[in-house]
This record gives sequence, structure tokens and C-alpha cells, in this order.
Amino acid sequence: MDAVKDTLTTPIFKNNPIALQILGICSALAVTSSLQVTLVMCIALTSVTAFSNLFISLIRKHIPGSIRIIVQMTIIASLVILVDEVLKAVAYDISKQLSVFVGLIITNCIVMGRAEAYAMKNPPVDSFFDGIGNGLGYSVVLIFVAVIRELFGAGKLFGFEILPLVTEGGWYNPNGLLLLPPSAFFLIGLFIWMLRAWDAKQVEEPDFRMAKHTVAEEGA
Amino acid sequence: MALRKLLDGVEHHFQEGGRYANFYPLFEAVDTIFYKPSSVTRSTAHVRDGVDLKRIMITVWLAAFPAMFYGMYNLGYQANEVFAVTGGSVDGWRGALISLFGGYDSGNIWHNLWFGALYFVPIYAVTFAVGGFWEVLFAIKRGHEINEGFFVTSILFALVCPPDLPLWQAALGISFGIVIGKEVFGGTGKNFLNPALTGRAFLYFAYPAQLSGDAVWTAVDGYSGATPLGLVAAEGMTALQTQYTWLDAFIGQIPGSIGETSTLMVMIGGAILLLTRIASWRVVAGVFLGMFVFSSFLNLVGSDSNPAFAMPWFWHLVVGGFAFGMFFMATDPVSAAMTDTGRWAYGILIGVMTVLIRVINPAFPEGIMLAILFANLFAPLFDHFVVQSNIKRRLARVQ
Amino acid sequence: MSSNDSIGKILKVAFALCIVCSVIVSTAAVVLKPSQEANKSLDRKRNILQAAGMLQPGVSVDEQFSVVEERFVDMRTGRFTDEVASGYDQRAAAKDPGQSRDVPGEEDIAKIGRQANIAQIYMVRGDGGDFEKIILPVHGYGLWSTLYGFLALEADGNTVAGLGFYEHKETPGLGGEVDNPRWKAVWPGKQVYRDGEVSLKLLKGTVDPASRDADWEVDGLAGATLTSRGVTNLITYWLGEDGFAPFLANLRNGDA
Repeated sequence: MDAVKDTLTTPIFKNNPIALQILGICSALAVTSSLQVTLVMCIALTSVTAFSNLFISLIRKHIPGSIRIIVQMTIIASLVILVDEVLKAVAYDISKQLSVFVGLIITNCIVMGRAEAYAMKNPPVDSFFDGIGNGLGYSVVLIFVAVIRELFGAGKLFGFEILPLVTEGGWYNPNGLLLLPPSAFFLIGLFIWMLRAWDAKQVEEPDFRMAKHTVAEEGA
Repeated sequence: MALRKLLDGVEHHFQEGGRYANFYPLFEAVDTIFYKPSSVTRSTAHVRDGVDLKRIMITVWLAAFPAMFYGMYNLGYQANEVFAVTGGSVDGWRGALISLFGGYDSGNIWHNLWFGALYFVPIYAVTFAVGGFWEVLFAIKRGHEINEGFFVTSILFALVCPPDLPLWQAALGISFGIVIGKEVFGGTGKNFLNPALTGRAFLYFAYPAQLSGDAVWTAVDGYSGATPLGLVAAEGMTALQTQYTWLDAFIGQIPGSIGETSTLMVMIGGAILLLTRIASWRVVAGVFLGMFVFSSFLNLVGSDSNPAFAMPWFWHLVVGGFAFGMFFMATDPVSAAMTDTGRWAYGILIGVMTVLIRVINPAFPEGIMLAILFANLFAPLFDHFVVQSNIKRRLARVQ
Repeated sequence: MSSNDSIGKILKVAFALCIVCSVIVSTAAVVLKPSQEANKSLDRKRNILQAAGMLQPGVSVDEQFSVVEERFVDMRTGRFTDEVASGYDQRAAAKDPGQSRDVPGEEDIAKIGRQANIAQIYMVRGDGGDFEKIILPVHGYGLWSTLYGFLALEADGNTVAGLGFYEHKETPGLGGEVDNPRWKAVWPGKQVYRDGEVSLKLLKGTVDPASRDADWEVDGLAGATLTSRGVTNLITYWLGEDGFAPFLANLRNGDA
């Protein structure tokens, strides 16, 4: 059971797909201006990653090496279309707000990355949990970003008013920058900063080091 | 000399192994404000110039004073002019202090200055305190010295803010400028963006309804109008000229951000910077040239639907934050280009972009801030090409 | 290993995978189609009701929509027409040269490019069976994007009953304030025409209620000059001679 727990929890903080591997950033910028939409996106991505891992792992011994990427893509794409159709049928409003970003899960590097790096080499159950774990790692960052963006950008959480806005008769002056996608860059940056302050092992090696200041001998 | 003794007496606490070793940067900052550092150059390399970072920064700080004092005066003057018509007054603690030490006479220099100071000084104080807090925090955490670049950042930031800026926004803006614009990259000398402008840009995008620069900023509640640039964009040059004369705009008798209104005062400060060679004249000349050429080009092209095309270069110079940006912001030695040719390119890019944003972008009436930040990003690239071509030229000579 | 990379195996795997995946995807599409369609039409109805300021929370949208009747107006004649294909979509028609006209530059103040020949409008029936409100589709260019919305007029074809946009990409907090309920609440009761001209417009700043023109003026959006101008333009266009003015005149004369 410990192994399962490990595959589940390592990607959340220790080896976070967004914060450490810097994958899947573009949807993190685009869908995080409201928490509800973000949650749906997280669920969609987590289920796609988990099930694509599961199916790819199931047939991994039969996948020819020469077409393995195409096989992975086909499975992932089918799952994404499935998710998209279900969303349109069940949660039309949210699927309208997510617009192309559900479709773009296909190109999300996390899904492909896990399929290629993990599911091709590991048994189905482990792969499934690895997919869930990585989906959760993605979700943690997105939810962090979305809570800050929606709360301070629109004064709401899940669409419910938390901080009454000045324009609607309250006192809170919303921060418009947080409603624009670039703000997610800063927030993800701050998240990475906090994470690496907590776990210094994740800090990358510097590209170069400054030479030490040397003092020449007087008169030399 | 009692002070020297006191400082020497406590110094060992701050040295390595001392009780307050963490706070050495604070001790060092206090010490070097009063006394010159005791460390001297011992190796053979010897710079024969008395100018160091501290002196540079303090010169820039002082050079901003003419614009600052005039800005305060003008702020009071503009508000009192309105009060003279509407007969209103200011409420709250500001009102109390005004009636105690000043008044609402727009002809009285002291009244105007006092009025302006009551708006500017709180913004500056908050900027200084909050920015200083971050500066000290990072200095202690990272073990480097507190440096005076912060004096400059704080005053420049405060001067480009509108006078009615809520103080919490000032605090938020400078925090963003210092932390995201500078400290995350490693502190002074490693920041590729101008921290004061980064903070200002943050406010600009975060609170656009109050700060995007199309409504005028006066300290009078309920009084609003278009800024000169907003006026041109909406109604054309004639509308601008009926409201303000060029001389008004040059001297600074127009409403606007505190430090930006008077081109004359900015030029006085700018002259100090150029004479002391703190600001690169190539950057200033480049900005001016870029603006001059591009605005003249747009004058020639003309446009039926966009009246701002017709705005001549000498108006571009005096309205908005152009002069202030050109002399004080673009010339920041850290975020500007470092090579001489690079400085020309960097300056010209700023000048062209400023006019481009002002005239053609429909959403942003003012452009110099975004233009400088944009050019900041390109400065290392310009330097790279200049250095590469230099290497190529010299290599050719060797072969 | 080599058995996996043989041509036969590759073809077999690829073929099997394609069959399985396409069956799954197409089953999902077919099974879910009805509820997707229902969602789509529900969404459109909600937009219309919301724009007209009639949407009540808690009551089912379909029920509220039962008083609304979809009609088609031929923009060339200004009269009702029934000659439309079922499932007609005005936005799609505006892109089709066969079903729309090119709006010449000087007329095109709302910057719409092409205008569909047939407009899809909605008539709201009151309790007595008479028409109480007319809901007209409007769109026009703001600062960054085309704003799509509905304008609801009272039966006199002159008094505004509500305005709302269901699609736009204006700056949040500035032009995006077109969605602000407080701003939308100032629209009902405003007048459109004065002496036959469309006079309704957005001001820069707030309306002085004591002004004689206050009935034809709406508060501008703070800090969003160009979005405000865009809204004024689209109202001027769509209620003007190229828009619904002829139809409204016919309607008033009982000649539509």
C-alpha cells in the first residue's frame, strides 16, 4: 500500500508536474480566473491522465515501439473527446467557458509525459494511481491560483460573493490584473518560490557560478 | 564623535558570531549614512573616481527634487483653482491641517505647496516604509547590504503616482515593484526591469478604472476631466489647444501625476543627471529622436478617424509622462542597455513605442511606461548584438 | 520484441485501436446529442430572457420562455417573413454572402461588416395576449471584440425595457462592466427616438437626472471610453434606418 501512496503523493509537492517540471502551463493561465471552471478542468485532466495511463499500461506489451506515440495520442484524444462530450451534455455553461481548453488537454504535456514516462513501463494499477497523483499535482497548483484570482480579482469564490465589490455597493476594490491571464504567471512563480523554499532539493543547479573575488598581492 | 563611539561600541554585536549578526545590513546602512566606509582598495586595480553607487543614487534622488516640489505646488494650485470656482474645501485630517497651516488661495505659493504636500508626503512615506521593509527583509535574508537604489525607486514610484492614489494601493504597487521587479532576480544590479515602473504598471493593470490615465487626477472629489492625452485621442489637437497652451504644459500648469506635469522642472533634474554623467545622454537622445521621427512621420501620414495622428512632437514632449520617463526612468543604469550603440537602439525603441502606443492603441492613452518596460526587455539583446559585432570586427582584424 | 515491431503486428494494433476508439467516441456523441442540443437551446433562451431583464431565478427557463415567440424580420422590407429554413441562425447567415449584405464603410458605424437579411427577433406576449415587449438582437464592435446582445423594447418601440450582452471580450473591470447589473439597471425606461432620430447614447461620466436630455442618456462605463462608444454606435446602427427603424415603424402602424 505504501507504494501506491507514494505514487499518489509524490507528484503533489515533491515532483509537481507544474511547479517542478513546468508542464501544462498554458491551461493553468487560461482557465484559472474562476474556481468552479478550474475545478472542472482539474477533474477533466485528472481523469484523462488516469485513464489514459491505465489503458496504455494495459496494452503496453502489445504497443509496437515505432507507432507508440500515435497509439498514445489516439487513446488520449478519444478520452478527451469523451470528456468534452460529457461536459457539453452535463455542464454546458462550464464547458462554454472552458471552450477549447478541454480539447487542448490532448496537447497537455502532463498527459503525454506520464503515458510515455510511466505507463509504458509500469503495471496498470500503478499507472492509474500515477495518473491520479499527477492530476492532483496539477490540480493543487491550479486551485491555488484560482482561489487567489477569483477571490481578489472578483471578490467571489465559486461565484458567491465573499468580498463585496465597490462597483456593487461594497468596500472591496477588485484587482483587475488578477482577471487577466498573465497574473497566473506571477502566482505560479510565487507558488514555485514557496515550494522551493520549503523543499530546497527542488532548486535547480545554477547555470554558472561567479568566480570568487581574488585580491592580488600588493606590488605583485 | 559620540556617535562614532556608539557605533563602534555596538559593532561587534553585528559582526559574524555576534548577537545580531542577522541584522548586519541594517547596522551597515546606518553606519555608512553618517560615515564613509572604513574599507579601502588594497589591490592593484584602482578606480580613481569618487562616485560610488551611494553617491549616484543620492544624486538621482536630489535631481528629482525640482519636479517633486513643483509637483506638490502644482497639485495644490490645480485643486485650489477648482475650489475657487466651486467654493468647496477638503474634509478630514487634510482639511484640518490645511486650515491650520495654509488655506485655499491659489495665488499663494505656500498654500499650494502645503496642500500638495498633504497628498504627496503620505504616498511617499508609505512607499518608503513599505519598500524599505522589503529591502531590509531581503538584505537580511540574503546577507547583502541595503543599498540606496531604493531611495531612487521609492521617489520615482511616488512621483509617477496620481495624487489621489489610495495609500494601500501605493503599498501594494511598491511591494510588487520591489519584490517581483527586483528581488526575485537577485536584487539591485540584476533586475532587468525598472522596479519603479514595474510597480506602477502593476497598479495600472490591477486598478485600471482609476489609473489607466484617461481621467484627470486632481485632489478634488467629484471633479474629473480628460487628461491632455485622452483629450487628443478623443477630440483632437484643437480641443487640447483651447484648454491648455503649450507653455502651460511645458511649465507644468496642467493636472496630472505628481512629478510628471512640469517638463521644465524635469529638464532641470535631467540636466543634473546628464552633467554628472549618471544618465546616459545617448539614451535620452535616442528616446527623443525616436519620438521626434515617428511622431513627425505620423503627422505626415495623417488619419481621418484618429485625431491623435496630428499631434506634433513638441506636444508629445510636454504632455503625459514623456519627459519624466525619458530623463529618469529610461536612463536607469541597471535596466537600460550597457553598450553605447545599444543605448541608441534602446532609446529609439522607447521613443517610437511611446508614440505608437499613445497614438495608435485605442485602450491606453499614455505609453511611455509600457514603452520603457518593453525596451527594458530588449536591452540585453541589443547589448548582445553590439558585443557580438564587436568581437566579429576584432576577429577579422586578427586574421 | 521483434514480434511487436513486425508489420503485421503494427497494422493489427493500429486497426484494433482505431475501431475501439471510434466506436467509443461515436457512441458517446450519439448518446449525448439530445441533451447537448437541449442545453444549447436552453442557453440561448436564458440569454434572451436575461438580456430583456425578464429572467427570474428559481423558475424554469422553459416556462418563462413560453410567453416568448420567435419571429423573423426581413431587414430589406422591414416586415415579418416566414420564408426561413428551420434552424435558421442569424449569426451564421451574416457570414454567408447569399443571405446577407455587405455594409458599406460609411454606414457601418457599429463595424459589423455584413448584416444578415433576415433577423431573428422575439416578441413577448402579455397576460392578455397582446405583445408587450420586442427583443431585438444587436451586435457591434467595442474595444477588443464584437459585443453580442439583445435589446428589449416596450410595445411602443421606443422605450427601452432592457439591454444585455451574452458574448464579448472587453477588458474585465472596464469595458467588461457592461455585464454589471447596476449598470444594466439604468437602461429600462430610457427613450430611443427623439424627432425620429436615434438619440439614445452613453455619456462620458454620469447622467445629470435634472437634465432635459436625461431620458436619452445613459451613464458611460468608467474608464472604458471605447466600449461605451461601441455600445452607443451599435444602438444607433441597429435602431437606425439600416437596422430595425423601418420594422418598428411598420409595427407601430400595424403594417408589419
